[in-house]
Amino acid sequence: MAGEDGKDKAAPAAAEGQRKLDRRDVLMGLSTVPALGLFGYAWRKQNQVKQAAAQAAVAPREAAAAGDVKEVNVALLGAGAQGQVLTEAMQRIPGLRFRAVCDIWTEYNQRRVVNTLKRYGHEVNGYVDYREMLDKEPAIEAVIIATPDFWHAEHAIACLKAGKHVYCEKEMSNTLEGARNMVLAARETGKLLQIGHQRRSNPRYIHCHDKLLREANLLGRIVTVNGQWNRAVAADLGAPERYAIPQATLTQFGFKDMHQFRNWRWYKGLGGGPIVDLGSHQLDIYSWFLGSNPTHVTASGGLLYHDPATHEWYDTVMVIFDYMTPAGPAKAYYQTQTTNGSQGYFETFMGDQGTLLISESELNNPGSIYRDPNAPAWDAWIQKGYISAPVVPEEKEEGASGAIADVRESAAPDRHKVPITLTDPYHQPHLQNFFDAVRGKATLNCPAEVGYESAVAVLKVNEAIEANARLAFRPEDFRVGGTA
Amino acid sequence: MMTETRASHWAMIGITLMRVLVGWHFMYEGLAKLTADSWSAAGFMKQSRGPFAGFFRWLASDPTMLAYSDTITMWGLTIVGACLILGLFTRLASLGGIGFLLLFYLCNPPFIGYFYTIPSEGSYLIVNKNLVELGALIVIFATGSGKFAGLDRIVHGLWVRKPRLAAA
Repeated sequence: MAGEDGKDKAAPAAAEGQRKLDRRDVLMGLSTVPALGLFGYAWRKQNQVKQAAAQAAVAPREAAAAGDVKEVNVALLGAGAQGQVLTEAMQRIPGLRFRAVCDIWTEYNQRRVVNTLKRYGHEVNGYVDYREMLDKEPAIEAVIIATPDFWHAEHAIACLKAGKHVYCEKEMSNTLEGARNMVLAARETGKLLQIGHQRRSNPRYIHCHDKLLREANLLGRIVTVNGQWNRAVAADLGAPERYAIPQATLTQFGFKDMHQFRNWRWYKGLGGGPIVDLGSHQLDIYSWFLGSNPTHVTASGGLLYHDPATHEWYDTVMVIFDYMTPAGPAKAYYQTQTTNGSQGYFETFMGDQGTLLISESELNNPGSIYRDPNAPAWDAWIQKGYISAPVVPEEKEEGASGAIADVRESAAPDRHKVPITLTDPYHQPHLQNFFDAVRGKATLNCPAEVGYESAVAVLKVNEAIEANARLAFRPEDFRVGGTA
Repeated sequence: MMTETRASHWAMIGITLMRVLVGWHFMYEGLAKLTADSWSAAGFMKQSRGPFAGFFRWLASDPTMLAYSDTITMWGLTIVGACLILGLFTRLASLGGIGFLLLFYLCNPPFIGYFYTIPSEGSYLIVNKNLVELGALIVIFATGSGKFAGLDRIVHGLWVRKPRLAAA
C-alpha cells in the first residue's frame, strides 16, 4: 500500500502538534477510490462495445476502394431521365472515360448529356443510331443501356455481339423472348450483362440479406411479405415544340408521336406498366431474400383512373405470390398504384421472430427491424453492429387514453435500426459492381440469369391480370436452356 | 455546543454506498454528454413547462447562454460525480449536485397536467427520480459522508486544525 505509506510520512509534518492521521483514517479515506477505478473500467468496456458496433456498421461500405484502376471506355445508349441519373452516378466512379452518347432526341437529351460530359473533360461523340455508334467507336468497352424497355433486347444483344460489356436497365425486356435472347447472347459472347436491379448492390440490402437473414436469421421463419410502391399521379412529361423529333425518326424507332416517345411507359408494347416500372425492383428483392422464385401468382389490376386514350397500362395492380422457400411456404403481397403516393415504397418481411422493414429510400423507411417479444434477445447482434440498440419511442400514443387492449393483443415489438446508410447516389454501387466486374475484380450482383428470373415473375403479373386467373410457374420457367 | 447525534456505523456505511451510487450516476451522465457527438441541453430546455419555463426557454434560445449551460452541465455533472465517488469536498459537491437536480426538476417538473415528449422510463406524479436523487444528496450533505469514508477524511486530518474527531 504505497499510497498509504506516503500519506503516513506526510501527515506528521502537516499536522504538527495536532492529532495525526492514523492508519484507520487513511484506509477509510481511500475506501471509495476503487469505485472510481471500477467506473473507469466499466466506462472503457462500454466504449469498446460502442466502437466495435460502429466499426462493424461501417465495414461493408469500404469494400471497393482500390488504388490504381484501369480506365474503361464507356458509352451511354439512351440519354433520357434514367440515362442522366446513371451518368451522374458514373461521374463519381473513378477510371471511366466516356466516348459516346446515343439518343434519338438530338436537340435535347443527347445534347444535354454530351455537353455535361464535355464540361467534365470527356471527349464524347453523339449518335442517333446505335449501330453507327458501334461501328465508329471500336474503343468502347462497356455500354450503359437506358432506352425504353422494348429496345433493351435488340440494343443489349447488338452490343454484346460487338464485344462490349453491357449494363442494361431493368426491366431486362418487355417480352420473355427478348429477355431469353439476352441471356443467350451473354453466354455466347462471354461478355458481362448486368441488369439494373440496383438494390442488389445496395450495401443496406446486402447487409440485411447476408448478415441479418442468412447469418443471424433474425426473422426466424419468414411466412409473409408485404410491399408497395405508391406514386402520386404523374403529369404528361411533355416536350418543347421547337425541340420535337422529326416524325420520320420517331416512326423509324417505333414511336407513334412525340407524346408517346415521352410517355412510353404508359403504352403496351413499349413498357410494362407500373408493376414493371416500379414493382420489378421490389419483387426482385422478394425472391432474393426468400431464397426462391414464386410458384403461383394471383393478380388484379385495372385502368381505374386514367384516360384509356393516353394510358394503356393498368394504373393500379395488386398481386399475391406464393413461394416455396427452403424454410417452407410463404405468401407475399404487393401493390403498386399511380394515383396516390401515400407511404411511398417499402418491403416488409415478416417472420415468427421479427419483422424487417426496408426500402431503398434513405429518408423514408430506410431500414428497421422489429424483434418479436418472444424471440431470443438480440444483444449479441447489437454488439456486433449488425443492428442498432432498440430505439426509444419518441412519443407515446396520444390515443392510448381510453382504449382497452385485449389480452390477446400482441405486445409491441422493439424497433432497431439497420445501421447502414448509403451516402452515394442509389445506382452508384450497382454501377461500381459492374465496372469492378469489367476489371475482373468482382462478380456481377445481378447477371442476366438473375435478371431473367425476376422478369419471369414480374411479366407474369400482367398475364394473370388479363387471364383473371391464378397462374402457376414451373421451376424450369426460370431457367434459360440451350447453353451455347 | 451542539449535541451531535452520530449515525450508527452501519448507517454511515449505507450512506457512503448511496454516495458512491449517486456519484457514479452523475459522472456517467456527465461523461456520456461530453463524449456524445453533439449533445445539447437545448431540446430539454425548450420542452420546459411550469413557472420557470420562460427562463429555460430563454437559456435555450440564446446561443451564448446555451453554450455556457451545455459546458457547465457536462463538466459540472462529471466533476460532482467524481467528487461524490471519492468523497472529496463532499459537502460542496452535494450542494452542486442539489443545484443541478433542482434545475432539472424545475425545467421539466412532473406536475399534474403536464405532458412531455422526452422519453421517460417511468411514471411520475410530482415526485420523479431527480427529486429522489436530490433527497439522497441532502442526506449526504447533512452527514458529510466524505469525512467518514472518503478523501475528505484525509484532507480533514491534514489541514483542519481542530481535533474534532478526537474529542468526539
